[in-house]
Amino acid sequence: MIELRNAGKTYRQGSREVRALRDVSFIINKGEFLSIMGPSGSGKSTLLNLMGGLDQPTSGEVFIDGRPLHNITDNELTLIRRRRVGYIFQFFNLLPLLTAEENVGLPLLLDGLPFSEVKPRAAALLDKVGLRERAEHRPEQLSGGEMQRVAIARALITGPAVILADEPTGNLDSHTSEEIFLLLKSFNDQGQTIVMVTHDPKAAAYGTRIITLKDGAPDQDIVIGGDNP
Amino acid sequence: MSIKYAMLGILAERDLHGYELKSSFDEKVGDFWSLNYGQIYSTLDRLEKDGLVTHDREAQEKRPDRKIFRITPDGRQELTQWLATPVTRIRALRDEFFIKLVFMVKSDPAPVLALIDKQKTLYLKQMNRLTQRKLALKKGAGGNEALTSELLIDAGLFHAEADIRWLTLCEAKIKAAINQEK
Repeated sequence: MIELRNAGKTYRQGSREVRALRDVSFIINKGEFLSIMGPSGSGKSTLLNLMGGLDQPTSGEVFIDGRPLHNITDNELTLIRRRRVGYIFQFFNLLPLLTAEENVGLPLLLDGLPFSEVKPRAAALLDKVGLRERAEHRPEQLSGGEMQRVAIARALITGPAVILADEPTGNLDSHTSEEIFLLLKSFNDQGQTIVMVTHDPKAAAYGTRIITLKDGAPDQDIVIGGDNP
Repeated sequence: MSIKYAMLGILAERDLHGYELKSSFDEKVGDFWSLNYGQIYSTLDRLEKDGLVTHDREAQEKRPDRKIFRITPDGRQELTQWLATPVTRIRALRDEFFIKLVFMVKSDPAPVLALIDKQKTLYLKQMNRLTQRKLALKKGAGGNEALTSELLIDAGLFHAEADIRWLTLCEAKIKAAINQEK
């Protein structure tokens, strides 16, 4: 599904070298809901960006669906990012001038599909996230929780191999956060692979697997099953 | 926390004999609070002496009569007052882990840091189990009982989260102290 092989990332900060990630290797299987947890600066977001092809490792390799994200053209990488990966961000990242329905359909519109074809698919997904009545609203007319629901629908519309979520409820209150997690969990129950990074243990606890990061490397890898004490 | 008010709360819903009282108690709060029959009967005795509970005798074939307990008007008033009063005592800082910390921190920091790591993982697994139970509840029929269970699970999650955050802070402060000494 997604595989990291000795993936590392080193930044230059002036004359200083910062190792954001060191030698990370693991496989994310289809249908997993993986929570990656760690304090700020532990390399969580860097790791997520590598998995989605938003960033390139300085060492090691990343594969999605068995296809490498290295030694490919920018154009191929763009297509993988658009079609195989769905993103959910802390600040929703919706386009303010577009309606909820247009925001949801955006990845398909960018792919050149006509709006007449995109519209019913976007409408169906908005219905699934409980926002049928909000299709014609723009982001500024929506609450935080509603905006994140739109973002989830947008992430799902291409039928991605994986959804990558970066602190998806970092900006929401506890009750709204729970509704967002229940929604993500319901898509995971239908087989959607999800990887989420968070510093919030309550959020991480929704995962079927939790990896904790420490100083740029995986520390604990907790797979949730019946055998936990 | 007092067993007394839990008994009054259960009897406020309906009259019960001792065995049913225990079952009802276990069903409602048994996940985090366990009682034996001895505690239940001694509490009922005290409640009767204070006039908050009374009982009727129910005849049984070939067996001694059994007592059906009932809350009195005074008992109801006591319960209502208790329910309306906020809890002033904050969770005690006296769990086993704190004691370990007291005795470990003076010596070598490595075992403390290792212990903190293990403790955090344990809490995380606990939180995951609680979350699984919440998800299962959400798929169930719902209703008032389910809501109460869910709120108690939430309380468990928030407490565990606070503990994890505190442990993370401990870790950072202990490491900073080590670096300062170097």
